[in-house]
Amino acid sequence: MTATAQNPCEILAATLSRLFVCSPHGDFTRVRTPYLYPDGDSIDLFVKPRLDGVGGTISDLGETIRWLRGQTVSPRRTPRQAAMISDICMTHNVEFFKGMLQARYENNNAFADVATRVAQASLRVSDLWLSFRNRAVESVTEEVEEYLIEQKIAFEKVPRLPGRSGRIWTPHFHARTDVQSSLIYVLATGSRSAARAVTEHVVTAWYDLSNLRTGQNPTEFVSLFDDTADVWADQDFALVRSLSRIARWSEPDEFAQILRRAG
Amino acid sequence: MALTKPEFEAILSNSTKTIVGDITWSEDEDHSPSVEFRAEVESDVGWPLFIKGSYNRLIGALTFAVISKTEGRIYALDLGKDHRNPDTGQLIGEKHKHAWTEEYRDKVAYVPPDITEPATNPRAVWTQFCQEAKIRHRGQLQPVPALQSELF
Repeated sequence: MTATAQNPCEILAATLSRLFVCSPHGDFTRVRTPYLYPDGDSIDLFVKPRLDGVGGTISDLGETIRWLRGQTVSPRRTPRQAAMISDICMTHNVEFFKGMLQARYENNNAFADVATRVAQASLRVSDLWLSFRNRAVESVTEEVEEYLIEQKIAFEKVPRLPGRSGRIWTPHFHARTDVQSSLIYVLATGSRSAARAVTEHVVTAWYDLSNLRTGQNPTEFVSLFDDTADVWADQDFALVRSLSRIARWSEPDEFAQILRRAG
Repeated sequence: MALTKPEFEAILSNSTKTIVGDITWSEDEDHSPSVEFRAEVESDVGWPLFIKGSYNRLIGALTFAVISKTEGRIYALDLGKDHRNPDTGQLIGEKHKHAWTEEYRDKVAYVPPDITEPATNPRAVWTQFCQEAKIRHRGQLQPVPALQSELF
């Protein structure tokens, strides 16, 4: 079988392996793949055989997550991004361990299959870059909407509610569960300088709508902070705390518990 | 509207860009082999700029990136991984710098002649990076903490 063969499958079999370049790299063998991160950087895999020489582990050594985190100033992934990584790892049977995408190969025959799976997982995880908000694909409010749907919590978007002053307020969501109704403001901004203005707007709204928290079926007020951006000061939380329940988007389960009055 | 090339060049050439205070490396949210830092960049114009640094202690791969809050990453130095340019298909090498173009955003890279220190010396590379990017750092970049546990 040679590269000059005419059968496409024979050509592929003869040439594909040339696209993967191996070299020693410290304790590992580095496999430079033909695949690229979204900015054009090469995707490298690192191989560490077991001591008995049979099988081993193929890992990206955390390079995919390092690349991804290098595109944003957000200190944490959103719940949706974390769920997408989990789904990608499940699809490709790859383990996500301490930020590393990796899988074991049990024998030499499995090596190419495992290397391809880890590389594909790396490629797909790096595409989460497209979900970063400063890439203008999705806002946190849309993420919250998707989460409420996933949690099967009924909601109405942007209800128009008159405050005691007569001003019309538009919280982001009016959610309803069996035990409680809640108004939700999502506090999100990428700028520290804008954070206080966002907080003060929500405080004013909760104060003007406070008549809805009284009576036999009071409505809960929930201030949901997008803390995936490190822009909030302690004072921002303190300002809304006396008028509403505080939830953090980095802890969506607690947010859902508040809506279900379980938290 | 996306950042234009003249706007990018104005950001890069502005010599009032300043980082105040010492910078410390910390583990990421996954406790991966990499450590990272984030530093706010002040300037007379007030661009919403940050520097993100990351260093993979297992393989000695280093990145310093300039990130705009509104545009994402606009400029970056990578040491320890190769790069292929989308316009020419050319491989650039394991030392390369990404710069902004309107057509390709930050996908086009070149070999920076001003970076001569190796990735295994992040503090020295940081000094060279700041000089080339016209960033004054009024403080120290702390040493990279050693990898404590067996990760792999």
